[in-house]
Amino acid sequence: MAIKLEKVTQTFYENLEQGKILGRKCPKCGAVEFPPVYACNTCGSLETEWYEISGNAKLHSIVMPAPLSSKPEYKALGKFCYGEIELEEGSRFNGVVRGMTKKKRKQYLEEGKLPLPVKAAIYQRDGYKTVVFDLVEE
Amino acid sequence: MAVMNQTKINPYKRSVSIIGVGCTPFMYTVDREETNGLTEGEMFGYAALKAMEDAGVSPKDVDFYFHGEASPLNGSNYLTPNIQVANWFGMKGKASIHHSEACCTGYYAIEEAVNAVASGKYNCVLSGCVEFGDAVAVPNHPYKREKMTMEKFLQTTAWLYERGYTRSFMAGQELIYDDAAEWYKRTRGLTDEEMDDTLNHMCINNRKNASVNPLAIMRKTYEEEAKEQGFDDVMEYMRSPYNPKMGDFLRAGGLEIKCDGAAAVIVCATEMVDKYMGNKSHKPIEVLGVGCAACEAITPHFEVTATEEAVRQVYEVTGVKPEEIDIFYSNDFIITSHLISAEIAGYLPYGEGWKYICEGRTAYDGDKPINTNGGRTAFGHAHAASGLADLYEAVHQMRGEAGEGQVKKIPKTAMLRGYGGAQNICTYIIRTAE
Repeated sequence: MAIKLEKVTQTFYENLEQGKILGRKCPKCGAVEFPPVYACNTCGSLETEWYEISGNAKLHSIVMPAPLSSKPEYKALGKFCYGEIELEEGSRFNGVVRGMTKKKRKQYLEEGKLPLPVKAAIYQRDGYKTVVFDLVEE
Repeated sequence: MAVMNQTKINPYKRSVSIIGVGCTPFMYTVDREETNGLTEGEMFGYAALKAMEDAGVSPKDVDFYFHGEASPLNGSNYLTPNIQVANWFGMKGKASIHHSEACCTGYYAIEEAVNAVASGKYNCVLSGCVEFGDAVAVPNHPYKREKMTMEKFLQTTAWLYERGYTRSFMAGQELIYDDAAEWYKRTRGLTDEEMDDTLNHMCINNRKNASVNPLAIMRKTYEEEAKEQGFDDVMEYMRSPYNPKMGDFLRAGGLEIKCDGAAAVIVCATEMVDKYMGNKSHKPIEVLGVGCAACEAITPHFEVTATEEAVRQVYEVTGVKPEEIDIFYSNDFIITSHLISAEIAGYLPYGEGWKYICEGRTAYDGDKPINTNGGRTAFGHAHAASGLADLYEAVHQMRGEAGEGQVKKIPKTAMLRGYGGAQNICTYIIRTAE
């Protein structure tokens, strides 16, 4: 491998159009960067390689949208929340999880269900596709 | 937690002290005849000259200046705002640099200035910030401004977030309002009602502090405001539609009051304070250390994670213990910041901070004062300038010159924690020289 001036962002979005969700895996320590970037934030390796993620993940926190944290275009998501997502490959980041309601949150928290299983999905936004997650309900 | 890089910082090559501070009132300039039309040079220049006067120095003594403005293109039609103001305070021809870390700018103002003197390159440096958070410059007019609409404000704050992934993923930019409250409530085991009351009490305490601060923008206490609306119980008012829920946890009162203002500080090598301060009687205040970290908004619990790292750095490099901190400031444009940063810093005990707040112990007349000027929800938020306005207040408290809002025991050691710009953290400890 070599350090390359590479269109990582564009490649990520083009692969979403093909139904693939890509991260980057560190050849030295095995950590997966998601969303994909050049270098490894775990061990400091200067290089990473493309890696297709499974989409299996956990939701560690739940914040419901509210007047300050909503936009008209988010209506198309249906019911959803924001939160900390952990991929089974290890990456953690903030994302959107569809299918969450205030009632469900209350129940999950009362029953001590966090973290909750979620699954990645490809979602059409205005002009491009992005990644959201769906609750995996038992 | 997310993968988090850490940095080991080293002690300064030489000690640096704060010898002068200056600050304008925080205000809506266009709303009043006597302030409508004030310019960047006039606001920054006033704060800079007040800081010089306070320090006992002339512009000829100052080697270099730093200039902070969060959004100069939007607010001032400037790309290089540092260049545009030097002539106003007698520093024509002297070098300067502009920096923006958005709402954290006024905290990085200290990091930049102290490094410049501690390195040995300069002996005496000015660091100032200005912001017209409520009034944008009218293009092609020499002094007119117009109100910053909320639409324009939200349009420009969207620029704070990374284009490639964060904006696309739709979460990082929205979590700024409630992530810290969710984290605190979950990790400390509070009920919804306890969390709501804690947020409301922080707003009440901030207003109480601002009510005795002549530079603050919101001078009316919430008790007075509640009475005017027919409420005898201020908490009933705070839980009412007069203070609506704007976030999952956050109510309207917990949001910044964006406004206009400027503030400045003079720092010099501690070994040279006698030369610069002349016959000034106040003691210099030494900057013991500055810890910095940053988590882009896609990082889970960005504020918590970066604050933990910055606080760790500053305690490690200074050797100061949390119990030595006498007064605490936190950039709380989202009120929750005030609670979580004070606990992370160990200024309030883990899991107990919310009780201190609800009991009023963190108001200026309490035993654990926080944001004695009223913080961002009551002193106001002139974005870049807010951090140095907090330093102005801390310095006056440490000199015993804070007037009606003076804390009971004159503080010797203070911690100030800056936050902003999606998201930078800059935390520093200052101590009155012996």
